[in-house]
Amino acid sequence: MTLQALLHQSGPIPLHARIDCAAGELLALVGPSGSGKTSVLRAVAGLMHVGEGRITLGDAVWFDSNKGVHVPAEQRPVGMVFQHYALFPHLSALDNVRLAVPRGAPADAALQLLADMQLDKLSSRRPDELSGGQRQRVALARALARQPQLLLLDEAFSAVDQPTRQSLYDELIKLRERVQLPIVMVTHDLREARLLADRISILDGGTTLQDGPPERVMSQPRNARVAALVGLRDIHAGIFHKATSVGAPARLRWGDAAAGIDLITSDKGRLDDGANVRWVISGEHVQLHAEPGAEPNMVPSELHSMRRLGEIVTLQCRPQALPQARLHLDVTTRFARLLNLQAGTVVHLEIDPQGIHIMPVKRALLDPLA
Amino acid sequence: MDWPALWLSLQLSLATALILLPLGVFAARWLANSRHPLKPVFEALLALPLVLPPTVLGFYLLVAMGGESTLGIVFQRVFGHTLAFSFTGLLVASVIFNIPFALIPMQRAFETIPTDLHDAARTCGLSRWRTLWRIELPLARRGIASGMIMTAAHTMGEFGVVLMVGGSIPGETRTIAISIYDKVQSFDMQAAGTMSAVLLVLSMTTLLVSAWLLRTPAAARHHG
Repeated sequence: MTLQALLHQSGPIPLHARIDCAAGELLALVGPSGSGKTSVLRAVAGLMHVGEGRITLGDAVWFDSNKGVHVPAEQRPVGMVFQHYALFPHLSALDNVRLAVPRGAPADAALQLLADMQLDKLSSRRPDELSGGQRQRVALARALARQPQLLLLDEAFSAVDQPTRQSLYDELIKLRERVQLPIVMVTHDLREARLLADRISILDGGTTLQDGPPERVMSQPRNARVAALVGLRDIHAGIFHKATSVGAPARLRWGDAAAGIDLITSDKGRLDDGANVRWVISGEHVQLHAEPGAEPNMVPSELHSMRRLGEIVTLQCRPQALPQARLHLDVTTRFARLLNLQAGTVVHLEIDPQGIHIMPVKRALLDPLA
Repeated sequence: MDWPALWLSLQLSLATALILLPLGVFAARWLANSRHPLKPVFEALLALPLVLPPTVLGFYLLVAMGGESTLGIVFQRVFGHTLAFSFTGLLVASVIFNIPFALIPMQRAFETIPTDLHDAARTCGLSRWRTLWRIELPLARRGIASGMIMTAAHTMGEFGVVLMVGGSIPGETRTIAISIYDKVQSFDMQAAGTMSAVLLVLSMTTLLVSAWLLRTPAAARHHG
């Protein structure tokens, strides 16, 4: 049972989004505020009308603008958890869940769902007598009461404190072991997406920019905007030079023709010689040495500043040959002490040619619907 | 003390409130959720009795119900007496001039139900009827009760429209407010004073009950 949604409209909320999510898979819709991720979720639930598109779950067509199909929200087998719980304030936890239990289900179905969430002892309490985390678990139990074929979570973990959030993550992970549903989660928290999701879909201005496994999207963003949205701190400028002979590596000039550093990289055959590019590298592909070495792509740099955050020290490095560029790197406090790092220290950064991810510039954003 | 007039006023109040209960609930719910372009026009029309002088409203109602109007003619043919200057005519007028008193508190109550509760009801698979019975009516109950109380209290005290449409027929259209006026006209100040005191106590009680119904529950204030 796979969810597929293709949404397209120019207003009032512009949307050009495409998502798909297989049974048992957790897809995270990630994007800044106003990126349209909640609109996508609401459209899938049937709570929002979209100009054009198609939404299907398995063989069931929920929305098809060409054929005039629009299944109302109450008839879509969807369980939804809202950002601020949206529990019915005048009903007990049990009645909140019971209301969503379909006719013909066992009489104790609602209580069983609350018991699964360790809430059976609080079943007679009203929402205002429950803590944030408890309310969220009631909301999750209620979303499951319909025996849904799709679970939608709208910023479901954003309104609770960190320890509660952790226990809710555990709850979700346990839930995924019990039920094989497609789950679509909206979040602005990349860490959360990376922790929980099998795939992430990056949305910006209502448009799907990229989707894929979190580690791939985060290390190989399709363009500079995605790179910025996935939190890559350094997006560098450069010029790409194709390999001069077959089998030889390509050359990436970090900076420009006048001042720069030549790095070797692999040629995937997608860029023209001399193309202006943006490139990124994730921290795991940069190794810091105290002494210069014979390895390729060794960049002597000065430690511009250091910022300590608990066990981690963020280093801001300035390549000696390209002093206007910056490269941020996280190392452990222990490692920083071992190398006696301090501002002004000269270090040698080894940049893994395989880790360099090059993105073209001035290319129109790919329209996912085109 | 004119007990029949008090009894008539109480009957008129109760009947008006009971008729406006279902009408008010459906109209208020529709207005609260509607994005119809003509919604402001409907709202203005329905609120008109708030600002229109009672005699003006009474005049139009009298013309509409009189023996020369279609409504008046049909009514006379079916029931054998005129609609104007009868209890039924008074009730029709009372329902019309009480629309805003019933509707506004009810509409406000429906408007304060958060949108995400409507959305949650839909994603729980609740039909419109079940949503109305299980979610909307319980959450709007204070506003609905307040609308009913305001309607009843206002009917007890309405003078201008009643005089225009009903006149002052004892046992048929003479309400307590009209009776007080008649007593003053005939210099029976003691009777007028007693009846005025009764109305004063009734009105004060109504306002207190209404305020109590509309109070913010303690639990809601400590939310979150």
